[in-house]
Amino acid sequence: MSISTAELGAKTALGPKREGPLVGLARMLGPDHRLGYLFILPTVVLVLALVAYPFCYAIYLSLTRKYVGVPPVFVGFDNYVKLTFDGFFQRAVVNSFIFTFGSVAVKLVLGMVMALVLTSGIRFRSFWTGVLLIPWVAPTVVSALNFLWIFDYSLGVLNYMLVKVFHLLPQGVGWLSEPGTAMASVIGVNIWRGFPFFGISFLAGLRAIPAEMYEAAAVDGAGPLLRFRHVTLPGIRNILIIVMLLSTIWTFNDFQIVYILTKGGPGGATQVLPVFTYEIAFGAQRLGEAIAVALYMLPALAAVIIVLARYMRQGRSR
Amino acid sequence: MDSRLKDLAEKLDTGLIARREFLRKAAVVTGGTAAGLQALSKMAGAQSQTKLRVWLFKSFVTAGNDVLEKQIQNWAKDRKVTAEIDWATFGDREQKFVAAIEAGNPPDIAEMQILGPMRYKAALRDVSKVAGDIASARGGMLPFADKAMKLDGKFYGVPRYSMTTVFYIRKDIMEAKGLKPPTVYDPGVVEFARKTQDVSKGLYGFGQTLNRSDDGNGFMQNILWNYGGGAWDKDGKPALATTFRDQNLKALQFAVDTITKQKIQPPGVMGWTDVSNNEAFMAGNLVTTNNGASLYYAMVAKKHELASKTLLVLTPGGPAGSFVGSSCYNWGIFQKSKYADLCEDMIRYMEDEERFAEYMKVSVGQAGPVYKKRTENPYWKSDPNFNAIMQNIIRSVPTGYPGPVTPAAVEVYAQNTLTDMAGRVVTAGLSPEAALKEAHARVEEIYKARRS
Repeated sequence: MSISTAELGAKTALGPKREGPLVGLARMLGPDHRLGYLFILPTVVLVLALVAYPFCYAIYLSLTRKYVGVPPVFVGFDNYVKLTFDGFFQRAVVNSFIFTFGSVAVKLVLGMVMALVLTSGIRFRSFWTGVLLIPWVAPTVVSALNFLWIFDYSLGVLNYMLVKVFHLLPQGVGWLSEPGTAMASVIGVNIWRGFPFFGISFLAGLRAIPAEMYEAAAVDGAGPLLRFRHVTLPGIRNILIIVMLLSTIWTFNDFQIVYILTKGGPGGATQVLPVFTYEIAFGAQRLGEAIAVALYMLPALAAVIIVLARYMRQGRSR
Repeated sequence: MDSRLKDLAEKLDTGLIARREFLRKAAVVTGGTAAGLQALSKMAGAQSQTKLRVWLFKSFVTAGNDVLEKQIQNWAKDRKVTAEIDWATFGDREQKFVAAIEAGNPPDIAEMQILGPMRYKAALRDVSKVAGDIASARGGMLPFADKAMKLDGKFYGVPRYSMTTVFYIRKDIMEAKGLKPPTVYDPGVVEFARKTQDVSKGLYGFGQTLNRSDDGNGFMQNILWNYGGGAWDKDGKPALATTFRDQNLKALQFAVDTITKQKIQPPGVMGWTDVSNNEAFMAGNLVTTNNGASLYYAMVAKKHELASKTLLVLTPGGPAGSFVGSSCYNWGIFQKSKYADLCEDMIRYMEDEERFAEYMKVSVGQAGPVYKKRTENPYWKSDPNFNAIMQNIIRSVPTGYPGPVTPAAVEVYAQNTLTDMAGRVVTAGLSPEAALKEAHARVEEIYKARRS
């Protein structure tokens, strides 16, 4: 049977009305959808003004030669190319990775120990939790200034304890004056400050694991190590990934500790990217180049975040 | 909560009005209130006084800061204006300037350090008239001040005072050993330090960091000049590993040797910041050190037992002479200011000789002269230690010497290039020659970038 064009037109006109995407969205949002747009508008404006615009402007500035008080001159990718071959920048990149991964790895271990101890039958648990949170709560500048004094060769308390009180060393150590000890010192302060965040996050995760799972594992003959590996770790896996991700980003961008303790010295041995950015921006006043330094590692960090986020989602779907 | 909003909320609760109507009316009430507040704010603003934003340098000499603030407020009261004073010190002043200039919101007037006019020239006003008037009434500027403030024939800063460094010696230890103040670093300071130090008691002969700091940068700059070298030649071109290679190599070798070979410095000296030598000297751990007058002020003001046992002498020199980097605090007026005339008036008021003398006297040697007539003030003869301060100021030379003060010279200094060069030898094990080449490459790069 054939259908004429006119009949086809009539059937189409009588059939279900086609909906555009906006109509569908409006139905989904309900009768007050216009008001909804109004409510969300301040947030959108704020995000665009305070995040998107500065970020895009920063990208633009990184492609310019920009000195303080002088209009920018577009130079394309010159700043990025120059940085790629700059020995000082390369050293800062290497130092940043040593600082970040050295610090995050130890914070992970210490945080886990802290969480396990606090979930055990320890007495005054709340008190110890509070005490261990102090480094995380204290302002970083205050902590760093205290450590500057602690690490001082001749007037610092650390050398005094090691040499004069406990007689462990014949003479003091130049904690901030030798490349190796200086890097170890700044990493140490970052660990001291950051491990409670790991611990308290893991603690929350551990409390969410049902006790029955441990009992079942024990019945099956699993010892403490096996229970930790097959019950505890899978139970806090997502928290572990999030915490590591956040800590990696924060540590990579940590400025205060290194700047206050060493300013990137001695001889650039603890120069990390945030301090390098700061020096190029405020010391050299090359704002375009400084922003290029800050943005240079953005793709690498973004890749880490994407990979970890994807890994986490996969874990959740299993 | 506004009573009208409360009424609306109650009506909504009781179902007298629809949610949409509530939102519409609430928006009208809120908007009306905001508009009213803005109108009130404008009315209030129209009645306020002229406000001048003044940024000052917060020095370690707190008595000087107090006098400075008092004098500015007196001026403001006299002129019936409001002076909004903000302070910045060594670690944050340049950052504040950079941020304010880039945000298009600099102060009207600021007290800047010697490199300020060069760093912020693009945002500063030409103050040649007021600078010239003040200088001519005081016998003219000292050469270093004129050179540092005048760029392309115009003044971008009005000189105020010079805060120089001098060489501090523990007079009691020196006299006990029957020694005289050293006039050169090698062998003078080295031998002096060896003879006076007692490492077993934690007393070291010399305390001078080569770490990233104003103290470290200043020393490295001076020591290169002392050996006849420097980072720049007389035309302002890079000279670190070219024109002055041999001289600079000897100077660098000497500087690192004080730590690695001569062992006259405390072991932790490469980790020092600007205050570390002050603390070590006042703790009795150093026989000699280089520092500004603030250390002497701190000892005198606190009636520290070492104040009377401390001798201030001229900074030691080297084979080519004795050089000291200049300091010249100055007033700069920003282009954006709508009150340039008021700012100039404030400068003239503050630089009045009586007022400056009041500031100078409480600063215990820190506010050194930048004008010829001020060198004749009897105050500088009131303490034997002031002679070294005066002489060091008069002979000082600005960054970039023997060439002009250039943006590249300022940046090389600000980027810790010279201290990093020394640090790479002391801590990273580079040979002096390799460190010199590395630093020269950086100087060249900065020079090219600034020229382009």
